[in-house]
Formats: sequence, C-alpha cells, structure tokens
Amino acid sequence: MSADTLHFVVGEEKKVRELLLDADVLPLLKGALAAGASCARVTGDDGEELWGACSPAGRGGLLRSLPLMLEGEPVAHLELFGAPEMRERLEPLASLLIVALDTVLRNSLKRVLTTEIHTSVVNSSHEELVAMNAELARSEARYRELAENLELRVKERTAELRRAQAHLLQQEKMAAVGQLAAGVAHEINNPLGFITSNLHTLQKYVARFCAMLQFYREHLELEQPRERLVTEAETKWRELKLPHVMADVGDLMAQSLAGAERVSRIVADLKGFSHVDESGESVVDLNQELERTLTLLSHQLAGRAEIVKELQPLPEVKCQGQLPGQIFLNLIQNALTHAGASPRITLSSCFDGERIRISIADNGPGIPAALRGQIFDPFFTTLPVGSGTGMGLAVVWEAVLKLQGTVAVADAPGGGADFIITIPAGRN
Amino acid sequence: MIEFDEKERRMVLKLVYYGPALSGKTTNLLQLHDLLTRQGRGELMVLDTSGDRTIYFDLLPFFLTAPSGLKIKVKVYTVPGQVCHDATRKAVLQRADGVVFVADSNRAEAGSNVASFDNLERNLSLVGLDIDSIPLVIQFNKRDLPAAVPEEEIRTTWDPTGIPVVLASALNGHGVAETFALVAGLVYDRIDARFALAAKHGLTRERFVAKLTSLKEEP
Repeated sequence: MSADTLHFVVGEEKKVRELLLDADVLPLLKGALAAGASCARVTGDDGEELWGACSPAGRGGLLRSLPLMLEGEPVAHLELFGAPEMRERLEPLASLLIVALDTVLRNSLKRVLTTEIHTSVVNSSHEELVAMNAELARSEARYRELAENLELRVKERTAELRRAQAHLLQQEKMAAVGQLAAGVAHEINNPLGFITSNLHTLQKYVARFCAMLQFYREHLELEQPRERLVTEAETKWRELKLPHVMADVGDLMAQSLAGAERVSRIVADLKGFSHVDESGESVVDLNQELERTLTLLSHQLAGRAEIVKELQPLPEVKCQGQLPGQIFLNLIQNALTHAGASPRITLSSCFDGERIRISIADNGPGIPAALRGQIFDPFFTTLPVGSGTGMGLAVVWEAVLKLQGTVAVADAPGGGADFIITIPAGRN
Repeated sequence: MIEFDEKERRMVLKLVYYGPALSGKTTNLLQLHDLLTRQGRGELMVLDTSGDRTIYFDLLPFFLTAPSGLKIKVKVYTVPGQVCHDATRKAVLQRADGVVFVADSNRAEAGSNVASFDNLERNLSLVGLDIDSIPLVIQFNKRDLPAAVPEEEIRTTWDPTGIPVVLASALNGHGVAETFALVAGLVYDRIDARFALAAKHGLTRERFVAKLTSLKEEP
C-alpha cells in the first residue's frame, strides 16, 4: 500500500472515546440531571471519568453503576448519583440510559467499520487503477517510440527507394543508348562489310598488277624481239583478266570511299545526338535533334514504320545537349512498341511566339483516360512482366522537367496516342 | 492476529468464515449467535451498504479474560461470497488467525466451491498468509439437501489433505457449534505455541474453547 492513502486493518480495536461523541453522551447525562439525579457520569475501565454532568449542589451517593459493553467487553461504566430517596425513580432511568448509550455506541461502531472497509476497498481499487494507469502510460510510451521509429524508418526507406529509382532511371537511359548502339552498329557494319569485301578484292587485283609488272621486268632483261614480247605480254594480260580488273577497280574504290563517308557521318550523328563533346549547356535546334534521332533509328524504322514529318522552323533552345535526344528517342521507341504491325508516326513541331510545341503521335490503340495519370510514374508499364521496365516515360518526364517544360498525352486524330511536349523558348 | 498488546494485556484474534456466495456463512453466524450463551459474547453486527459497490461483512465478537488477566477478544467475520467483492475479502482476510471454509453440498455448486477455494488460497498468499499452516476447517453445509454430495465422496476428496471436515446443516443449527469449536481449538494450539497461553496465562485449550462455545441452557 502506498504511504499517502489511509490504511485500516479490519477488526482493529476501537476506544469508547473514539466511538462516542460529547454531543451523543452529554445530553443524555444532562437529561438524567433534569430527571432528578445529582450527578451522572461515564467512567472508563480504569475508573477515570470520560463524561460527566453534576449539579452544583453536590453529587450525593452512588445509586447505580451499569457496565457499557463494546463487542462483548465491558469498556466503561455508567454511574448515577443522587439522594437515596430518589433510588426507586433513578434506577429505571439508569437502565434506560445504558440502553441509549449502547445503541449509540453500536451504531457508531457500525458506521466506523463500514467507513473503514469502504475506505480499504476504495483504496485498493484506486491502487489497482493507478497501477493500470502506469501500465497504460508505459504501453503508450512504447507505442509512441515505435511510431517515432516508424517515421524514421519510413524516411530511410523512402530515401532508399529514391536512390533505387534514380539508379533505375540511369539504367533505363543506358538501356536506351544500348538499343540505339545496336541499331547504329548495324548501320556501321553494313558499309564496313562492303568496304572490307572490296579491300579483299583489291588485294587480289593488286597481286595481279604485281604479277604483270614482274612479267615485264623479267622479259625486258631477256632482250627478245619486240613482236614476241608484245604477243607474250598480251597473252599474260588476258591470263590475269586485267581488262576486267581495270574496269572494276574504279567502282570498288568509289564504293569504299562512299562507305567510309557513311560511317563517319553516322559517327558524327551519334556524337551530335549524345553531345558527348559538350559539357554543360549548348544551343540546339529541336527539329535538328528530332532528325538526328530519326537517323539513328533508321535501321529500326526503315521498311517498317511510316514517318510523317510536319516540322516548322523553331527558335534555338539552350539546354543540356543530350536531353532532347533522350525525350525523342524514348517517345519514338514507345510509339514503335505500342503502335502494332504497321506503325505510322507523325512528328510535328511549331512555335507560337512563347512556347515550342512538339507532338509525337502514333496510330496505336491509344492510352485509356484512367491510365493517363500513371504512365509517367516510374515502374508503370502495360507490358507483360519482364518486357518493359516502366522507366521509359519516366525518363521523358524527368528530361522535360529539366527543360522547364511539360509533357502530356492526348488522343491522336483517328485514334492512337499523342504525346505533346511544350517547352518555353526565347530564354537565350 | 489483529493485535497483541503486552502492556495493556490484550489480545485480539480474527476468525473468518469464507466460501462461495449463498453457501451459508451468515447463517452460521446467526446460528452461533442464537445457540451460544450471551455471557462474553457481543451482538452480531450485520453491515450491508447498498449502492454503487456493495461492501458487506458480518461480525460476531467474543470476549474472555484469561486467569492471568489477559483480555482476549475473538472477532468472527464472514466475507461476501460474490466474485466481485474480492477487495473486501482481501481486506477481511488480513491478519486472520483461522479460517472456516463453508462449502455448499449441492452438487451443482461444486464448481463454485472450487473457484472460491482457489480464491481463498490466492488471497491468503496476497495478504501474506500460508494456507498450509493457517488453522483451517472445511464445513460442508446444506447436508439436508436431497442433491447433497454423498459423505463418502467428500471424505475421499478431503481426508488425504488432512484438513478437518465438518458436515453441517446451518439452517437447522446442526454442525455449527462443532465447526466453531474445531477451529477455535486449532487457533488455540497455534496461539499457545507462540504466546504460552496455558503456561503463562493459565488458559487451557478446554477452557478457551468452552468459553467461546458454551451453549445456552435449555429453558
């Protein structure tokens, strides 16, 4: 039990002084005086007077002494004094008084016991409640700590997720570049193939030229008759099929040069697209960037997709050079993926004096309105699991944001999706 | 023991009638009150407060004086049987010197008996008393009921525990004084061992029990 609550032991002894009040006893004793007694008093078991009322005339002789019982134990005595002739009248009064005192005493004890047990029970209930409250406070503290940790953990996870997302965006850019590289490699391989083949042929031709020259050198030393030399040389000339070789070698050289030029043009386009030589911002023409992207995708597009260009002159834009390429590459690849068996891609650009508007529309199934809010979210894809990363349009979103522009999707005329990019121009 | 005051030469003992609700604890006290002589016995005090929480017990006090002058008061209590009054039961059990467990012989009440006895055991330990050493008597009350559990069965269950069992019908006054005498004797043995009631105070076991349980003379 805590120290600041009242504590009772049920059954603790009570003194008659604790149970009877002056206001209970004195009126009774005074009543006895009024009835003719000279003195009425209550004494403890040691004889000491606890309460008393006496007339000034003196107390006279003891007429009656009656025990007052508390729980079966005589704890006090009622004593009545008076003149001897009053005995007959006062003795019944004494009996009456003791009954009255006994009743008051018993009721008082009952009240005290009730109060004590009530207090004990209330105290113990209160202590139980205090203990329960402490337990609840502890559990609340535990949950608060958990909640605080949870917030921290959520923050950590969010940061982790952001890092992973940035990583994936980078990967997607690399994947796009990889696809592009495959296409470009094919473009380069083709001319490289016939240049190599031509060089092999030229190698054989050169060997024949050498053989012919060797023949001349040897036969000139022999100092043969001229006619004979001419005849033999003619035979050798034909043997080595030099008339055919002479006719072919010019074509071979011209073809090879053209091929080499094609390769260097592709490399220049690639460099231009990637802006690999530029650091920081540069001034670009978005139409030119669009064309360059198409060139790089020519292998994927050739014979497969129909490209419709409606390009109007645009002001130059200052930006990180590789951003437009990223946007166009991803949007055109997206159109090729979703546009079905015979894709038709319409590219249009215009400038309204403030903003450049570029639209890339396809003839595919279009994008349902319900999905339009999600398509630019990272990892969102309508392709089967494993087929798409869901990062392509997220890359577009990020790049457009860096150009301080917006990208939205609308219905293309006649069905299909129309991606509209709006970029503020005239920033110098 | 509620109190022992060497200077005042005073000893206050506590006996508690425990048991399930409606097993006849108060009836036991009422019968004791009616059966025993008025000499040295106080009035039965029945406390019942109704209201938010009913807190309730009965008290029958006894008073005797040993030849040495040692005043001994024995307060006999009942506890409320209802499960919800556990706090009152604990408060009343504090410093008890002996316990009478009033069980209900009605077979249907066997479960209540067991639950109440478990409650007694737990509450005794909570107030620092040991059920194995405290004077304890079991009274199987309501033997007059037709559905009463047979005595054979009760003996088989309780005799091995060594706890004395009294069969009673408190309503008819049977077994009530016997139960009280039995627990009074056991309490005497325990107190005598510690306070030398016989050797120092000249109070023998017989006298102690007789003082508490002397029946009224038949009129």
